[in-house]
Amino acid sequence: MKRLLGVALGILTAIGGFVDIGDLVTNAVVGSRFGLSLAWVVVVGVVGICLFANMSGRVAAVSGRATFEVIRERMGPRAGLANLGASFLINLMTVTAEIGGIALALQLASGVAYLLWVPVALLAVWLVIWRVKFKIMENVTGLLGLSLVVFAVALFLLKPDWGVLASQAFTPSVPKEEGAGVYWYFAIALFGAAMTPYEVFFFSSGAVEERWKVKDLLQARINVLLGFPLGGFLSVAIAACAAVVLLPAGISVTTLSQVALPVAQAGGQLALAVLILGVVAATFGAALETTLSSGYTLAQFFGWSWGKFRRPAQAARFHMSMIVVLLAGAAVLVTGVDPILVTEYSVVFSAIALPLTYLPILIVSNDPQYMGEHVNNRAVNIAGLVYLVIILAASLAAIPLMIATGAGA
Amino acid sequence: MSAAKRRTIQPHEVKPAPRPAGLVLDAQLHLLDRQVLDVDGVPVTTVDDLELSGPVPDEPIPEGAAPPSITALLTGPVLGTRIFGGRPPSDRLIRIPWDVVASVDTVITVGVRSDSLDASWVERWLRNHVIGRIPGGSHDPG
Repeated sequence: MKRLLGVALGILTAIGGFVDIGDLVTNAVVGSRFGLSLAWVVVVGVVGICLFANMSGRVAAVSGRATFEVIRERMGPRAGLANLGASFLINLMTVTAEIGGIALALQLASGVAYLLWVPVALLAVWLVIWRVKFKIMENVTGLLGLSLVVFAVALFLLKPDWGVLASQAFTPSVPKEEGAGVYWYFAIALFGAAMTPYEVFFFSSGAVEERWKVKDLLQARINVLLGFPLGGFLSVAIAACAAVVLLPAGISVTTLSQVALPVAQAGGQLALAVLILGVVAATFGAALETTLSSGYTLAQFFGWSWGKFRRPAQAARFHMSMIVVLLAGAAVLVTGVDPILVTEYSVVFSAIALPLTYLPILIVSNDPQYMGEHVNNRAVNIAGLVYLVIILAASLAAIPLMIATGAGA
Repeated sequence: MSAAKRRTIQPHEVKPAPRPAGLVLDAQLHLLDRQVLDVDGVPVTTVDDLELSGPVPDEPIPEGAAPPSITALLTGPVLGTRIFGGRPPSDRLIRIPWDVVASVDTVITVGVRSDSLDASWVERWLRNHVIGRIPGGSHDPG
């Protein structure tokens, strides 16, 4: 019974933990402009993140080594440093976007300008990183993040024409008022939002934090294989809500309140309250994950002592770097830059950096020196290689498409 | 040594190195960029470079000289020069003497505490001056 509860909890937190500000914004933007005609990208992204999260979790459980230690060992210091630079900058961008997301959600709830919420959000995130146990932190934000199910409920209450939604989703085509370049640009953004590399750093470091052993892998696999697809389902529900309400009205999403509009229209104040709770929990959870990830990547590259299981004083450089990251993120926000815009760019840059994270994982999970008998089997390797091709294509196409389409304008 | 005395060695005269006994470690593969843990399993640093004893560069090697051996694992600014070229002055090298290395596996373990090594001075400085002074910094996460 206890074990079953553990599995259920794991799945629920994986669902709640899947959606962050990137998924929220990108799915709503895409839904409001392309309907469900990009829903297939979410499916591709979810399968990919399941595949690679499993791989990195297995590497961590078998070898006790987190992703970034292994990246430097296998790629050498030069490629490792280039990788660290790119990953760290994207992490910083994502931290900024998530803290902005918390502040925007609190503004939606209170009416107080989001800039005033930035220091509050910053302090709250830091306090949790400083004092709260890893497991509690994961479970609470994950479970509260489940409130985002309100998007799926709202979709039913909106009584959409399911036939139209299904035909958009299953026979995707570029809407006539949008260009093919813009369509593919948003496809890459959505892919980057679903496959965000920080999830992999976080997942593998979390496995070390929680001292996974090989016997825990089954439960981890169940969490990932059920939790992430259900999180992907939530993402599609966000896009569908936008497709039903915003697309016909010609509203394209530029603020968080527009993301919330369909839910408010379907379920009124109560639904809106649940939505705000969900957004705060999801962005707060993601802010924790991205902040920790930037600490993890730095500490693992340089071989510092790291981990939330240690006292902060026993991982001083790790905690110092996270304080600096949080302050840097807040400093970016107080310049008045639009957090939604930061989010939109962060998912595209994530897509650009994807090969840097995923190639080394694929290499190491095939290395018997680390993995012993637990190296990838043939099916996983074939799937991994197919994904590597997709990831490379998305990565290479992202910048030309960004320039050609004016970042999807 | 005068030029007349220096004998050119032909390639066919060079004998293959004798096969060393025991485990063979490849510096690039098994030592460089590996994580170093202390005796309690606390991460110390990553191996940024190696210090070798033995022949001085650009000087002839006398016959029968002992082969170079690893004297220390290096860390600190040497990582920058390893990546971007050049070499730091030798007083800026942070050394972990090879004598304290206890085992070499996918991680390198040293037989002493991290705090007793020069390599952990930044960690200790931040602990004593910043992180340890923030309330809650020296308590277990609650």
